[in-house]
Amino acid sequence: MQETATASPTVKETLIGQRVRKPDAPDKATGKTRYINDMVLPQMLIGKVLFAGRPHARIVRIDTGAAQKLPGVHAVLTGKDVAELRFGFVRDNVALKDKVRCEHDEIAAVAAETEEIACRALELIEVEYEDLPGVFSPEAGAREDAPQIHDRFPGNKSLAFEFRHGDLAAAEAASELIVDNVFRPHHVTHCCMGTSCAIADFDHNGKLTIWTQTQYPYNYKMDLAPALGIHPGDIRVIQPPVGGAFGSKLDVYPYEPIAALLARKTGRPVKVMYSREEEFKASPTRQAAIIHMRTGCTRDGVLTFRTADVLLDNGAYTSWGPTIPVIMMRTTSGHYRVPVVDFKAQAIYTNNPYAGSFRGYGNVQTTWATAQQMDMLAEMVDIDPLEFHLKNAQRSGEVTPQRSFLRECALVECLETAATASDYSRKRKEYAALRDAPGRYKKGIGLASSIHNAGGAKIHKSDGIGTILKMDDYARVTVITGASEIGQGIDAVITLIVAEELGVPLEHVTLVNNDSDVAPWDVGVHASRTTFIAGNGTRRAARKAKAQILNAAAKMLEESPEDLDLRAGSVVRNTDGAALIKLERVLRQMHFQAEPELVMVTDYYEPKSEPEGAAHVSDHSAAYSHAVHIAEITVDTLTGEIKVDKVTVAQDVGRVINRMGLEGQIEGGLAIGLGYALSEDMRIENGMLKNACFRDYKLITAPEMPPLDLHFIESHCAEGPYGAKGISELPTIVIAPAIANALYNATGVRIFDPPMSPEKVARAIFERCAPAGSGAVEPRLAGTAA
Amino acid sequence: MSETSEKISAYLAPRRLDEALQAMADGDATVFCGGTDLAPQTESGARQYQAKLLNLRRIEGLCGIDTGGGEIRIGAATTISDLRRNAPLAAIAPALVEAAEHFASEQIRNAASVGGNLCNASPAGDMSPPLLVLGAAVELACWRDRAVQVRRVPLEAFFVSPGKTVRRPEELLTAVVFERPADGFVSRFRKSGPRPALEISTVSVALGARIADGRLSGVRVALGSVAPTPLRARHVEAALEGRPLDATTIAAAVAATADDARPIDDVRASAWYRGHLVRVFVEEVLNDVRRD
Amino acid sequence: MMSVETEIRFKLNGREVSLKVPVAMKTLAMLRDKLGMTGTKYACGEGECGACTVEVDGRTVNSCLMYAVDCDGRELVTIEGLRTPEGLHPVQQAFVDHGAVQCGFCMPGMIMQAKNLIENNPGLTREEAQRGLEGNLCRCTGYTKVLDAVEAVVSGKSCGSRP
Repeated sequence: MQETATASPTVKETLIGQRVRKPDAPDKATGKTRYINDMVLPQMLIGKVLFAGRPHARIVRIDTGAAQKLPGVHAVLTGKDVAELRFGFVRDNVALKDKVRCEHDEIAAVAAETEEIACRALELIEVEYEDLPGVFSPEAGAREDAPQIHDRFPGNKSLAFEFRHGDLAAAEAASELIVDNVFRPHHVTHCCMGTSCAIADFDHNGKLTIWTQTQYPYNYKMDLAPALGIHPGDIRVIQPPVGGAFGSKLDVYPYEPIAALLARKTGRPVKVMYSREEEFKASPTRQAAIIHMRTGCTRDGVLTFRTADVLLDNGAYTSWGPTIPVIMMRTTSGHYRVPVVDFKAQAIYTNNPYAGSFRGYGNVQTTWATAQQMDMLAEMVDIDPLEFHLKNAQRSGEVTPQRSFLRECALVECLETAATASDYSRKRKEYAALRDAPGRYKKGIGLASSIHNAGGAKIHKSDGIGTILKMDDYARVTVITGASEIGQGIDAVITLIVAEELGVPLEHVTLVNNDSDVAPWDVGVHASRTTFIAGNGTRRAARKAKAQILNAAAKMLEESPEDLDLRAGSVVRNTDGAALIKLERVLRQMHFQAEPELVMVTDYYEPKSEPEGAAHVSDHSAAYSHAVHIAEITVDTLTGEIKVDKVTVAQDVGRVINRMGLEGQIEGGLAIGLGYALSEDMRIENGMLKNACFRDYKLITAPEMPPLDLHFIESHCAEGPYGAKGISELPTIVIAPAIANALYNATGVRIFDPPMSPEKVARAIFERCAPAGSGAVEPRLAGTAA
Repeated sequence: MSETSEKISAYLAPRRLDEALQAMADGDATVFCGGTDLAPQTESGARQYQAKLLNLRRIEGLCGIDTGGGEIRIGAATTISDLRRNAPLAAIAPALVEAAEHFASEQIRNAASVGGNLCNASPAGDMSPPLLVLGAAVELACWRDRAVQVRRVPLEAFFVSPGKTVRRPEELLTAVVFERPADGFVSRFRKSGPRPALEISTVSVALGARIADGRLSGVRVALGSVAPTPLRARHVEAALEGRPLDATTIAAAVAATADDARPIDDVRASAWYRGHLVRVFVEEVLNDVRRD
Repeated sequence: MMSVETEIRFKLNGREVSLKVPVAMKTLAMLRDKLGMTGTKYACGEGECGACTVEVDGRTVNSCLMYAVDCDGRELVTIEGLRTPEGLHPVQQAFVDHGAVQCGFCMPGMIMQAKNLIENNPGLTREEAQRGLEGNLCRCTGYTKVLDAVEAVVSGKSCGSRP
């Protein structure tokens, strides 16, 4: 780990940039933590869902009579119980369906005393279906004669986006070199280790308490309410510890209203929890897309334009998936200096599973295309890709065509740092020269980069966060914050910031952030925003508290507040650090003096960013950041297996806050990207998922994880807390095209449709090497084996 | 979840083989050892429980590896971990221990039994190809005429189709046996997949033969995941038997795989890729033997 | 509709336990639903993820595949059994210190497997640890900090993180 910059020295020891443990880690490591999946409430019933198990059908008849009569069954619900309770961005979804539009459509739900009884009850429900011809690709769905999936959306048209900038015809004319490819990023899914789970309970005033894994507890109320026909104000959201989220819990999915509907019907708490197979089939995916991208440049290697024509497989319903063009167009227009841009995207309803948000949201798909085209253009220009990247890299102060203002831009530094650390240019030449030499195993090195929002993304009316900070008579601090913890480590960051500002030990800080009736509003944990937004909110609240304390202490000590500071549990004199009075004594004196005061401050932080807007021309994030990945691989040209030997990462993190948490986010994010690149693949045939298990849906395992060389570039973001930027999505975004470029360097083949599975790679190499039409393997084998 | 556990009327964990066989005599027992196949298969509804659930783990003498004599004997309840850690066996049958090395995960290896892996009769079963090239046979025991009766079935005649073997419902697979390989015996195992283990093999290849003066004899080649059952590659064997192990012979053996492998397209791989991998692996193991 | 039950006795985290279990019940369900020991996690139920790893007679197994009846007469150790009167087990402490815990859901199983590997191989290398943990999936950490923690236990080094 290289520390590329350090804070200017101060007399005060700073926690910023240190390694701080997650406060919840000991309980998690001992099995003491009670995850939502572990929770049992008195009188709790188990809810189970009957899935359609077919992609497109009319429901002719449902008979729940036998299920209702089964002893131990308390409620059976079907589509007719919820007919008008539509939810979703475009109100195209409903908790229980009146028509089947995808394999996992929820047809009926049961609440019973045990899971066994609930499962038996599902078996007793008789459903007669009339299967309908299906739509299994966006191209098919866009055809004039395609079967209609929703009556309300003619032509199966879902969301569409467009952004244009500059004179495309002129730019094309000025382009001496153009690459033109179709990329097909595929369906993958989150695979949270804790499966989806919700527990719902109504009180007798009609108020719903829902324990759920949501990442956005406040807007969640607004989204859940229409699915139940209740007011959002009558929902209390409690977020117990969760087994991962990664974007999958950024929307309401049908199991949540189903739990609530069953709870309302039975008057008892109801828990719905998916099995792993159900999780694979019924939880959201990453958005699949067909990206037709063209990029041009001059013979000197200066980018002239980029166009992207994107067709999105919407799946059966509209969640976050088809909204990814919001970010795709930022990358298309902002990944390197692209003067002319033409972006359009259309989502088409299909009978496939539908997509939600997933770490890297849209940018995983676009960077897969842009970063490979950068590599291809460099080869056409015939210069080192590093040089090509540097030539087109933005500098601080530049503004992209969509008005993203790159205040502190460290792309050049990221490129140079990663290239130097990995000896990129030398190795790339050496490996390319050996590409067609005899030998079964080939080495390759590939460079990729991307840009991502790093200070939130103002796609809602507010991108803010509320914070309440209080201190007790013993100088223990409680931070009540909207910031959700889903494993990413905001608990450690908030603890660190409070300890930094108030000079209290880390273990004296308590976080309350899991109850919407208690904690103030926040957009949610997404868009690499929480350290940035909640970090600022916490810091502002802590500074308000600090000012209050120092003012009071100054009066007590007859000093000036500007000359005082809080360190190591005491009020100290700034100049020499001498401890003047214990902090907890100050707090007690404040509390019990003639004019008593308690330290309890509030703050609402709204980042300085502009709303996304319908035209998509706005500075929608308070910061932007870059990362560069350089992947070194060995390819078995016969089996097609890619072994990743090493990944060098240089990322603009603004400023390191919690070094250990930062490393963990980059390592973990990169592992998700590796799975996307190499092995994860939802095999959906005619709308049916064929590999709903970890045996055949392959996550990266410990032996496959390469050594990582991490370099944190500190660009000191003016708006970020202590200079920090958001960091957690870029590691997932950049790695796949870095490997694709390395694969090309090693073998001369390019894969446009991830994952780069052994079979796909073997076939591509085989087809490149075998004489066309010969169908022979022998020459290749004889030439390369041993 | 569509478990059929309510069909179970009795659970038995006998200590003696004859007790177990008597309990199985009516052919209405579901037997398990580690449960690593039975548990998920019953949970998913792919398999149904029968009236008796019979735990084999307590039967004395059903596990253990005897490498002392001319015949090597591996008790059916021996775990894959036991096999992996057995040094004498590694010297005698390296391909078998190599297959154990790449078998699922440590946790599964600690529970799964050799007998269970064979009885599960998966075309991808990791134990089958190396045992096939060792010329192994399985012992099937049953209770008949008030006594334990044992018959031996060569492993290559044991598998019928995916999940099906010639074992009769009242029979228990008690051991797998093979003759101690002669001097000069070499064996190899190769399995596909970038993960070292935890991989259902897309293709696996095992080779066993004597090598003397650069020629192979007594050649056995076995393939996994390229047909409904693990199988002996007779055409490949014929291309190798008695021939000098040179580039021409190897090329002929590689070409002969097309006559033995009958791969299909499924969710894990296409028929093309399976056929391709068989060729690659056959060439690889032969070149490896040739080099040594 | 439940399967028949049978009485079993075994040692669980050092204490004798006896209870009746349905004969087709798996050890994971027994631990979580019958004994309220929710430290051991369900994440796949098919032995593919390792979140339910427990030790039986000194060897690790997936408790989701192990028939509860097979616990009879044996000795089980679960994640709850690692804590000592002094506090966390050294492997647990190393995972905490090295930032190996994010969402933490896979960690009870991961820690059980890591502890077993270290106990059986005091000179465990990073590569051996990678192989030994291949049956434990983690979606958060990319395993790097897990391996750092295991290495630290083996070498006795600390990383200087703050509580």
